[in-house]
Amino acid sequence: VSEDTQPVAHCEFPILGRAYFLGGRASTSVKQALTKHGVAEELVQRVCVACYEAEMNVVLHARSGYVAVDIFPDRVALCVVDQGPGIANVELAMTPGWSSASDEARALGFGAGMGLPNIKSQADEMQIESEPDQGVKMWLVFETRANS
Amino acid sequence: VSVTVADVIERLGLQAAAGAEEAGAEVTGAQVCDLLSHVMAQGRTGHVWITIQTHANIIAVAALAKLAAVIIAGGFVPEEETIMRAEEEGVPLLLSGEKAYTLAGQLYEMGVK
Repeated sequence: VSEDTQPVAHCEFPILGRAYFLGGRASTSVKQALTKHGVAEELVQRVCVACYEAEMNVVLHARSGYVAVDIFPDRVALCVVDQGPGIANVELAMTPGWSSASDEARALGFGAGMGLPNIKSQADEMQIESEPDQGVKMWLVFETRANS
Repeated sequence: VSVTVADVIERLGLQAAAGAEEAGAEVTGAQVCDLLSHVMAQGRTGHVWITIQTHANIIAVAALAKLAAVIIAGGFVPEEETIMRAEEEGVPLLLSGEKAYTLAGQLYEMGVK
């Protein structure tokens, strides 16, 4: 992956914390942007699954946030940033089944502890930075797979 | 044998709450699940998803995972927002008073595997 190229396109979409009923709006916008710029279907699908999980993490846990997308000829980079409680132990949070979601969220079918593992399985690169009581920054890179 | 959403509606006696104009889509498989992340991870283009969740996020998941239709089982009633979102996204939202288990069995008998 070459780091020096400029993105073909850059866009950002806001995410509102606690607004369950709006969850998925940002990911839908990301999907539309990728499709509009001719990103391969297989790549769009992987980005969307990861983006939805990241978006719902913001909705379920944070006050607000946004997702920024950079589209390159050979890859898509996502940056999801939120203002919220942060993740105390990122390694623990990556464990499938581990969750700090509320009972309310779980009753709606969220908070199964599968979000971060799902993101990891879709992305080629994943990096999380978190400050307690500040928020979370997540960087994801998805590369075009030649055989798809 | 190719099965469409319209075939499923007819055979399972479903009520279409939204997205009926997309009922020509081919059904390639199905899943029964109430955990959204699991559907996101396992869902494939053309799958029919049977759930008892009724909130609008099921439509976001269905649209992003390119599912063919969502069936709300057990007589659960979708929220108004869910129906609006399904119309917006063009996702067939189908309702049934039958149990998820029964509906899954009927789908399997139709050749959806």
